[in-house]
Parts: sequence; C-alpha cells; structure tokens
Amino acid sequence: MRKKPFHAFPYLLLLPAILMMLAVNLTPILQGLYMSLLKLNQYTLNQFLDAPFIGLDNYRRILFEGHSPIRAGLGFALRNTLLYTLVVSIAAIVIGLAVAVLLNRDFPAKGVARTLLLLPWIVPSYVVGSLWGFMWQRDVGIVNVVLVDYLHLLDEKPFWLLGANSFWAIVIPTVWRAWPVMMLLFLAALQAVPEDQYEAATLDGVSKWGQFWHITLPILKPVIVIQFMFQFIDNVYSYNIVSMMFGGGYPGEWADLLMPLLTRQSFSYWMFGQGAAVSFIMMTLMLIFVAVWMRSFKRSLANDE
Amino acid sequence: MICSPKNIKKLSKPGKLKLFLLSLTLALTAPALQASELNIWVMATTEQQQSDMKELLRPYLAKNPSLRVNVTVLQWESAWTKITAAAASGQGPDLLELGTTWVAAISSMGALEQISDAQQASVGGAKAFFPAVWSSTHRYDEQKIYAIPWYAEARAAFYRTDVFKAAGINPRDAFANWGSFKQAMQKINGQVINGKKIAALGYPGKNDMSVVHNLAPWIWNAGGDLLSADKKKSTINSPEALQAINYYTSFAVEGLVPMASLEKDSAQIDTGFFNGQYAVIFTGPWILKPLSTPKSKGGQLESVTANNFSVAPYPAGLKGQQTFFAGSDLAIMKSSKNKEESWKLLSYLVSREAQVNYTKMSWMLPTRIDAAYDPSLMANLHYAEFVGQIKNGRHYPSISAWGPLESVYLKNIGSMFDIVAGVKGKYSNLAIKQALDATAKEANEVLAELQ
Repeated sequence: MRKKPFHAFPYLLLLPAILMMLAVNLTPILQGLYMSLLKLNQYTLNQFLDAPFIGLDNYRRILFEGHSPIRAGLGFALRNTLLYTLVVSIAAIVIGLAVAVLLNRDFPAKGVARTLLLLPWIVPSYVVGSLWGFMWQRDVGIVNVVLVDYLHLLDEKPFWLLGANSFWAIVIPTVWRAWPVMMLLFLAALQAVPEDQYEAATLDGVSKWGQFWHITLPILKPVIVIQFMFQFIDNVYSYNIVSMMFGGGYPGEWADLLMPLLTRQSFSYWMFGQGAAVSFIMMTLMLIFVAVWMRSFKRSLANDE
Repeated sequence: MICSPKNIKKLSKPGKLKLFLLSLTLALTAPALQASELNIWVMATTEQQQSDMKELLRPYLAKNPSLRVNVTVLQWESAWTKITAAAASGQGPDLLELGTTWVAAISSMGALEQISDAQQASVGGAKAFFPAVWSSTHRYDEQKIYAIPWYAEARAAFYRTDVFKAAGINPRDAFANWGSFKQAMQKINGQVINGKKIAALGYPGKNDMSVVHNLAPWIWNAGGDLLSADKKKSTINSPEALQAINYYTSFAVEGLVPMASLEKDSAQIDTGFFNGQYAVIFTGPWILKPLSTPKSKGGQLESVTANNFSVAPYPAGLKGQQTFFAGSDLAIMKSSKNKEESWKLLSYLVSREAQVNYTKMSWMLPTRIDAAYDPSLMANLHYAEFVGQIKNGRHYPSISAWGPLESVYLKNIGSMFDIVAGVKGKYSNLAIKQALDATAKEANEVLAELQ
C-alpha cells in the first residue's frame, strides 16, 4: 500500500481551535482537580490559590475516614443512585420500545397519538419534580385518591414522600418523563427495518413475537446499547427531581442520590475541597464505566457486521 | 434633519468646524453625563419582586434621575450558591441582599465592605433597629458592621377565634404555657365547623426549608439552645432540646397534628390554615397579605379563616417565651466600583419611608422600630396584634459557620420526622434521642472542620 503524503498545513489551521477547545475543557477540570487538593471553606474559597494545600487528604477522608461529614449518607446515596439508575434506564427503554413497536403501524390519528405521548418529555425535569410532589401527597394527592378512593387497591393511604416509598416517588416520575423520548428514538430506528424481512418471516410462519425477537431486536440493538449508556449517565447525574420534590431539603436515606448529596455536602456544608474530590471520584468512575461500556459493545455499535 | 450628510455638505468651513467642535465636546463630556449604574441582587420575597422593587425605588430614582438601578431577583433556594460564587470570585453586584444568618459567613470571606460608624449613625445606628436583627449585622465576636437590616420576619401563633369559641376555650389561657396549650389542643381537635372536621394544629415536618426555624423557639423556651455558649459545639441533643422536640413531636404522635402534614412544606400548611384544615399554625407575618387580599386578586379575604383569626405568642416553656426572628440585611460588596452610590441607595432602602412601603408590599416586618410602629401599618388590626406579640424575638448566633450548621440540622432533623410519622421504626423518646445524638455528632464534625 502506498503511504499517503502528510500535509501539515490543515493541522496548523486547526491548531488554534484545538488549543482553545483544550483550554475551555481542560481548565475547569484541572481547576477542580487542584481544588480537591486544598482545604477550601468559607475563609479560603475567596482566594483559593492561597488556601492550604493538603495533598490527598480530602480523598483519604472520603474513602477511608468513616466519621467524615462528607461520608454521612454516602453509602445510602450510592445504593440509591445505582438502583434508581438501573430501574429508570431499563424501565424507560422497555416502555419506550414497547410503545414504539405498537405505534409503528398504521392506525387513525397516528400523528396525534405520537405527539400526545411525547408530552411528558417536554415538561422540564424541575417542573416534573414539583408537580409530582403534589401528586404524591398523602391526603390530597391524586395518586392516593386513585389508588385508595377509586380503585380500592389499598386499605390506607400510604406516605410517598416519607419513608421507603420515597424511592418510588422519584423513580416513577423519572420514568414517566424519560420513556417518550426513548419511544421517539426507537420509532425512528424502526423505520430502518426493511419490510421484506417481516414479509419473509410471515411467509415462513414466524409469530409476531418471534419476528420481534429475531428481527426487530437485533436491528435495534445498537440504538438500545447507546441509549442505555446515555440513560445511565443522565440518571447518575440526576438532581432536579429530588431537589424539587423534597423542597431542597433531605429526602431521607431511601431517596437521596449522589448529586443532591454532593451539592449539599459541598455547598451547604461548605466543604468545597471535599466536594471537588467527590466530583472527581465520580467523574473518574463514569469515565471508567464509559470506557468499559464502549469496549464491551464496540461490535454491537458497529451494527453486528 | 439638520445633520444629514446632505446638510453637512452645504455647511461653510467655519460651520463645519463648529460642528466638529460640538461633537468633540459631546464625546468628551459624555462619560461625565452618563447615568451611573448600580446592580442590586434581591431575593424573591413578594410574588412580583421585580415590579415591587421598581415601585419601591421609584421615589428615589425620581430624585436621582442620573442613576440607573438594575435589579436581579434571586430565588431563596438558589441564592446562597449564587452569592457565595459572587463572593468567591468578586464578580457580583454593587448592593446585595443577604439572609440575616449569612452575613457572618460572607463577611468572613472578605467580600463585604465594612460600614463605618458615621454611615451607621446616618441611618440611625443600632438603637433604631430591633436588637435581634441588628445582631445579624456583624459576627458575634467582633464589632465591625458589614450590613444594615432591611426587613425582618418573626413567628407567632395564628389561631381560629371561632374554633376556640366553639370549644369554649379562652385563647389567653390556651397560649399561656406548654401544659395549657396541650390541653387546649386536645379539646379543640376534631371540632366540626361548617360541617368540616378541623385538626387542632398544623405544622410541616420533613420537606420544609424551615425545619430548624420551626423548632428553635420550642428549644429556646425549654432552656435549650442550638449551639453551646462558646459557639463551638452543637447542643441539639441536650436534655432541654430533647424535651422540647419530644413535646413538639408529641402533637403529631397523639394525632393533634394530622400525620399527612408531616410531608408538607410551610406554604402548604399556610394554605391548609386558609382552607380551614387547622385551628392553629405557627407562621410568619407574610400570611397577613393573602388574608387581607380579595379572592379576585388571588387572596383569601372572603374565607372563613380571614374573618375569624387572631394572633398569639408561642406558649411559654419552663425557661421563656421567645420567638424566632430573622430576615434580610443589605450589604455592599467590596468589589463594587460605586460604593458611594451604593451606600446612598442602601440608606434609602433602610429608611423609614422605604421600609413602610416595602412592608405594605410583602407584609414582612420592618427592621426599624419607628417603621414597625408606623400608624399606616398599625391601622391593620392583625398586623398590630402581630407586632405586639413578637417583642421577645431571638436570632441565631451570628457565627460564620451558621449556614453549614443549619444545613446539618435541616438534613438530620428533617429525617427525624420519618420516625415521627412511623415509617422508620417505632416512635419513642429513645429513638428521637438517638437521632439527635447522630445529628450533634455530624454537626460537631462540620463545626470542627470550619472553625
């Protein structure tokens, strides 16, 4: 094979843009990293360059010192975030896919149905948080009114914003808001499925379920894989719903997530250095997750060629 | 047009020269004539803060036509983050509203301009303001003043006079002390008014930003405190504080406060009072506004509550009968390039005239004593009652680490209401004590970190 000649000039033209991009993206990361090595509080934040340098002490305290304030509740937040992320991501994808398959056929008012189903998605997440905050109210909230007064599914109105149920109080609205966009993406992807494959399968006597399992799903696999990753990252960084639904306070050990915890410990407890360290640990974990994910699904993303 | 290019061409040489000199003079003097511009950050205290501020500033701006004031309205929930960011970066407004518990912290960051003795004297000095709010203008352990109180809030009991009458209870006796208050609540609970069963008391539990403010007067009146005398240790688990919290939470456990109210916030409890759900709530002066505004303008004037309510002090505990006092101060940022203009505007906003006007907009309290007793405000009977009840106002200690300490209390005490509601183990004095011990431990860790 003949080696292509190397032209430096185009790269030279790109250089200022590359340098600018690096400066814009790297500066905050490096500043954050540096801040995580300082003792930053209300006295030192103003001139953080002069703040006492304490090396890896913030990391040591977060990872190994059981009674450090920043550690209070970290275990709960980690557990909740992981469960919340998995449940929300899987539920949004499954519901989105199911509705997309149902809508991917001709029926009257198809366009109207699709538009209406997209409505939850256009509601901003902080509005979703405060809206569902009202809906979950024990005495007058619509959820309990429907469950108890109309459907008689439960004998007594349960608390949704107190106690263990608060986990579902954040999961359900998040799924409610997330699945329509999944539906939209899957609908778009379904347009790419060649009709003749279904016709051939029907002639061979393959059931609808079999067609979904052996034709639709494999073709949609790259979209599902990439959407799962987006959902995962999005939900790990979820903040608005919890902060709006629980009045900016503390939702308790069942519904506290990593981002609200991080914001609280960093900005409310004024341990900015430790907050920066936790952010850095989170960012590193997410980078590892994305790297492993990309490696594992490299072939799926290439459409199983 | 005189100065159209065509006309300029027609001008004679001396004419052109004159025109040139005129434009040069204008260009050189323009900066001097240019209006000075002030940026001010305030919190959303009224429903239409932007237009209310415009109204409030109108008389001042009429006297200062060359001044432009840009008002930025911050939400209370996010204001702290924005203000600390401004204080840290030095990129902020000229004039700044600060929650009274924030002044010590922001001044510790070196972000605020000190207010001189002469400046203080020009607005009346310490003696012109309620002592409790004046204590928020400086750190408890130093004399330097960094802010001037602007408006205040205090808490009192608001009760339904018709319900008390129906139950045959004299409010004066009911609010006398803890024992009589509990008895009164037991008698009142379940009274039926206009076919509607009314709960004795309503208070928010967990999901409320005011969790600490709601408890503080009960703890103080039991002889307890939120912080030790040397301001170094949490005393939230002291026997007195424990006694107060047990007394306060017992109302919910005994069914005198509906359990469902424990997941509501203060605003929802206020609304419940307007709707006739509760006979008594403890809240601030802001509810006077909806209660004196007609329904057509979004108020509650025609409601049964608006026609049958009165104000009482907190029932006295063994060690006192105090109430919670807080509010907002105004400060000038060190980074301001218009400190003189900023001070003039600040002086106006804390003047008697502006405070009276602002109270009529927000029904928050004036911080100036002469403004608080202004006849035009005292004409509102309920306001007069309220002001009469809050003489024993107490503010949190003005330490620079108050914010974090309050956050620890907010998180942990909020969580304690899971126990009160019965969704996290069984309610007992021991369970509350353990929750408060954990709170004190976390608070002490944070205090040690920030000393």
